[in-house]
Amino acid sequence: MRESLRMVLVLTVIAMVSAGVLSQVYQFTSPIIAENQAERMESGVFEVLENVDSVEFIDGPFVMFRAYDADGNPVGFAYAGEGSGYAGPVRVLVGVDHETKEVTGITVLEHTETPGLGTQIEEEDFRSQFVGKDTDDDIEIDTDIDNITGATQSARAVAQAVRENLSEAISIYEGENH
Amino acid sequence: MTRAKADFLRGLWNENPVFRLLIGLCPALGVTSTAINGIGMGLATSFVLLCSSTLISVIKNIIPAKVRIPSYIIIIATFVTIADLSMNAFAPELHRALGVFVPLIVVNCLVLGRSEAYASKMPVGLAAIDALGMGLGFTWALGALGGVRELLGTGELFHVQVMPAFFEPWGIMAAPPGAFLSLGFLVAIMNIISARMNKKTA
Repeated sequence: MRESLRMVLVLTVIAMVSAGVLSQVYQFTSPIIAENQAERMESGVFEVLENVDSVEFIDGPFVMFRAYDADGNPVGFAYAGEGSGYAGPVRVLVGVDHETKEVTGITVLEHTETPGLGTQIEEEDFRSQFVGKDTDDDIEIDTDIDNITGATQSARAVAQAVRENLSEAISIYEGENH
Repeated sequence: MTRAKADFLRGLWNENPVFRLLIGLCPALGVTSTAINGIGMGLATSFVLLCSSTLISVIKNIIPAKVRIPSYIIIIATFVTIADLSMNAFAPELHRALGVFVPLIVVNCLVLGRSEAYASKMPVGLAAIDALGMGLGFTWALGALGGVRELLGTGELFHVQVMPAFFEPWGIMAAPPGAFLSLGFLVAIMNIISARMNKKTA
């Protein structure tokens, strides 16, 4: 009896100390982690839109930013989209022009695709195909976007991520502007 | 050779976890597409190994034998979570590259193996030295694997172009099969070197 009591006691103490230490570490690191992610998103806005000077967060069903130039005029917006890749979710940030509502550029925020094959979705040659697309386009692999040999699923994930939120993002953006 | 020195060197060569004991292969094959990823993973594992081995050695006498494995796992998981959160906060790029392999350090048999086989029986100093040796052995092994794969798979080393322009990267080296091929050749090379060294000393 004494032995089992000691087992319970030791395990409980270890688990409690562990929980205490981890809650401290979590409290210390979580604001820095959140800041990193927001920073990464925001810096993405500068990659997908031109002449951006300041960025403003828009609340919505997915992450969106409004972008302004140095004179405070709107240049467009950027939204985050997600597609299912070969090895996990592929998250992209898409820039859209204020006037034309055409895609101005995309950048891949996060992915776990195969090195050497799926990672080609990050390359300029692939990403630049999305520039100029709007809601009238299919934005689909093998119709208006060229496939990547050996990485069809990764390429599809990017197209899906761009396509799915585009029209909703435009209506949110226009709704906010009124 | 003193006991401490032997304990330290053992992990680096004669009982190198990856090339000799062939343990901890999951991250060794999974994250070594570049040298920096391999070294980052090795250092994260070394941190966990050093902290958990030291702590387990300190409290080995108060842990009842029947609950030692759950106790070790809680301790290891705690340090892994600390490493995971810290990397996410201070090295987000590396954290993104290593992905799920960081939390998976918990189940790396190298860490639990050293706790069970060594730290739970040895005094603190030796346990720490053993953990450090094993950790650094793991780190250089993963760095070497990553370096070979990065060099042949992309023509770069530490993200800097080193191969001449006419070199056509071997895509397979950056892909998962490249990990197996590189590991096989590195193990063979290490065996040849060891055999030569043994001949000399014999």
